[in-house]
Amino acid sequence: MDLTAVVLRAAAARPRVLLVTVPGGTAVRLAAERALRSRDWPSASTPAGADLMVVAGPDCPPLRSALDRLWQDMPQPRARVRAQAPDDVSSVLDAARDRLRSPGRSRADVRGTADGNGHSDRGHPGDRGVGGGVPRAGDPAAEDGGPGSGAYGEPPEDGSRGGRPGGRQGAVGAHRAAPDDRRGGHPDPHDTAEHGDDRRADHGGQGGNGEHGGRADPGGGSGGHDGHGNGGMELPGGLPMAEQGEDRDGLTLDRLHVPLGPLLADWPAGLTVRLVLQGDVVQEAALDGPPACTSTDLFWTRPWTRAAAGEPVAVGEAARRRAAARLDSLGRLLSVAGWPAEAVAARRLRDELLAEAPASAVLPRAERLARRVGRSRTLYWLTRGIGPLSTADARAAGVSGPAARAGGDVPARYRRWLADVVDDVRQSDDTAPLDPVAQESPRGRWDAARPPSVALTEALPGLLVGAELGAARLIVASLDPDPDELAFRRAEVARG
Amino acid sequence: MSGFTAALSLLGVAVLGVAGVYGAARAFRVSHGPLPAQPFGSGLEPAEHAVSRFHVRWYTVTMLFLAFDMEMVFMYPWTLVISVMGPSAVIEMFVFLAVLLAGVVHAWREGALRWT
Amino acid sequence: MVEAGAWWTVLAAPAILFGLAGLAVVGDAALDARGAGRPLTPGTAVRPLLAVSRALLAQPRRLPAPDRLLWRAGVITVPVAAVLSTLVIPFGGHVVADLSVGVVWFNAMEALTWAGLWLAGWGPNAAFSLIGGYRFLAQGLAYELPLMFALISAATGARSLRVTDIAAAQHGLWYAVWMPFALLVHLAAVLAFSFLGPFAYPAGRDIAGGVLGETSGADRLLLQAGRWLWLAAGAAMAVPLFLGGGAGPGLPAWAWSLVKTLLVLGLLVWVSRRLPVIRADRYVELAWVVLLPPAVLQVLVPALVDLNL
Repeated sequence: MDLTAVVLRAAAARPRVLLVTVPGGTAVRLAAERALRSRDWPSASTPAGADLMVVAGPDCPPLRSALDRLWQDMPQPRARVRAQAPDDVSSVLDAARDRLRSPGRSRADVRGTADGNGHSDRGHPGDRGVGGGVPRAGDPAAEDGGPGSGAYGEPPEDGSRGGRPGGRQGAVGAHRAAPDDRRGGHPDPHDTAEHGDDRRADHGGQGGNGEHGGRADPGGGSGGHDGHGNGGMELPGGLPMAEQGEDRDGLTLDRLHVPLGPLLADWPAGLTVRLVLQGDVVQEAALDGPPACTSTDLFWTRPWTRAAAGEPVAVGEAARRRAAARLDSLGRLLSVAGWPAEAVAARRLRDELLAEAPASAVLPRAERLARRVGRSRTLYWLTRGIGPLSTADARAAGVSGPAARAGGDVPARYRRWLADVVDDVRQSDDTAPLDPVAQESPRGRWDAARPPSVALTEALPGLLVGAELGAARLIVASLDPDPDELAFRRAEVARG
Repeated sequence: MSGFTAALSLLGVAVLGVAGVYGAARAFRVSHGPLPAQPFGSGLEPAEHAVSRFHVRWYTVTMLFLAFDMEMVFMYPWTLVISVMGPSAVIEMFVFLAVLLAGVVHAWREGALRWT
Repeated sequence: MVEAGAWWTVLAAPAILFGLAGLAVVGDAALDARGAGRPLTPGTAVRPLLAVSRALLAQPRRLPAPDRLLWRAGVITVPVAAVLSTLVIPFGGHVVADLSVGVVWFNAMEALTWAGLWLAGWGPNAAFSLIGGYRFLAQGLAYELPLMFALISAATGARSLRVTDIAAAQHGLWYAVWMPFALLVHLAAVLAFSFLGPFAYPAGRDIAGGVLGETSGADRLLLQAGRWLWLAAGAAMAVPLFLGGGAGPGLPAWAWSLVKTLLVLGLLVWVSRRLPVIRADRYVELAWVVLLPPAVLQVLVPALVDLNL
């Protein structure tokens, strides 16, 4: 067992991190990315390859089921933490490492998985009632709750394995299991909500959540699959096979429904695009409404909102923030384009700008990045012709920012960003007062009623249809709507 | 040690190594019960089985590839006999290759090498 | 006639391959650390090797209706094929088995990764994995033929498919000098069949890790190891094919082999960071229209030289 402890410590020295951002969590994400980079904790893009799940940002109830889905798919040893504020990041990461390295706790966590008592209250007793206990009227998942409740009615071991979206009954079962509080084993000063707990039965939330609620959960072994949907036909793993549909040439071919988002690496947090794929080509793309996260924390446009509220803000401060925002977008685009070395360069520059590094120190490196990336013939060759959006079309769609000024394909847009970054760095010491209307915010002209990212998002589905999957990712990354602006708009709409 | 013995021994070493990795993983894993998981869907549940008849739009390229690959079967022995057979071997092989390359040019002009 | 080396070469070849692959990982980590502005110490450079301990600890996962047999077979094939390719790669004066068809053997082992990687993508029954597996096939259609012509260029120059003969035939003048295009194509193909750097398309970040996305634990370790083992094997193969094998002044043959292999490996690791991922839908056209004709012409050069002799 000592040897296991040694191996655990070694593994915990460099955990792979699934960094998940929630709308409104930009500041935390930036702090987390910086910390992970300096600690050399690599980033994982799927739960299977991750040891540690870091949730950056405030609690967002509609995304909880998605967060739990990722968490449930992570193999042991694992840990889950949430950082609510940028200053928390470092201590939260330390706590996570300690949890990963301590064998006792990992074992306890495993026991939780095995005996199925992982589901329980999550420190937000009320949320369960909201998220899972009230299935939508007419929701097939809720109607289907009969067999599901059977699964839950059995002893907890089975309930854990069979944890499937069960609607009302399932949620009740989860509540019944609640009293055994495993959270006591993990005292954490930062967040009681996001803990190394297994919320295996946490499907009530999904059951009430959407069209996928009626699906059976993780394969085999569970008692809850039979007689579930689809006319009682038994389905392997509880899933139907791919259906067929016509492609652009009129051929009837298999197609898969693959969502991009809400929680995907290098993707606008919370945004969901549902794709219909034939092979790896996008046949249909539909935008889900943004998740009802009502965050009003606008990180990238803060100088503009402050100036609009009458505070004195210097042009230089806004230019600095704008340059950092575009470097952030570039980092995402380069990462999606599979150029991690330059993505890291862009993100380092972004962090230095936000840390108030003097313009004279940043400018040469910004110019070097602009040269390397902007003049890369390879990147141009790989991205040209993808996602064309002319200036006229962009304006007609209400897009105002660099995407409209670039008026072209993906390379036109990243070159626009690069040129803008260099310009902005040059004027980042300008002390003139900011006019929030005349000066463009990172994604376009700032309008609190209709933030520029809304138009960018709405332009997406039309551009994605017909694109290869990799190209589709590039298109989204090259427009890069800001999830915070979408959440802000949602909050404004909710407020009326 | 003959070539076959050597190849089989090397395979044995490689397989032992792989078995060692799986064995060590079995010994060290913190939990023996498998984790019931879902394929990654960005936080959403999968809608159907992913295994399906994948629409490969590059199937015309595979036809081209097959033609060249068969040609390679001739080309390996060809390398050994050039000096014995003299100029005729070279001429014949490159006329054959020219025919195939003409096919590539045709396929290219027809757009078979682009699929998105 | 088949000659085989001493019994210990069967153990030494995989060991050297692992050493080289480990050095490549360490070198890549050092460049990573420099790029990220982390202090560069020997300790930071070996940190990626901690992934081994992670892999041993991981709990197995069970996906809905995976094709477990094919998945496992695919995952194992990639590193095993890389190790098997070393059968014919001479290291100084030693080789495990000096097959008369050594070049074909190497080519065949490399082609096995097509099957392996596709199976690894198919097995888990996950959309992104599946796309990753097919991506490798598309990439293979692009890189494979130029690679075969590059291998045949060297074989034609030596009028032999035996790798030691090819190395020995370059006395005085390396094939890299008069077949530079073949060397270039070979090096690009090495990155492609190890799906690293600009050819990490099957395991792209844009499809959440592709073929690697659903693997964890030992499976993930083997696939990742397979990538770096293939990189090392491809770099080692470039030395006898194009760089004169163990020939060189002063040092013993094994030392020259080592030095040359390390240089090639270092070059590959460095280049792999300088380019974005090349998507196969663009690369196929380039490979067939731009790379293939010169690769064919490259074979003509040694063929004509053969005739003059």
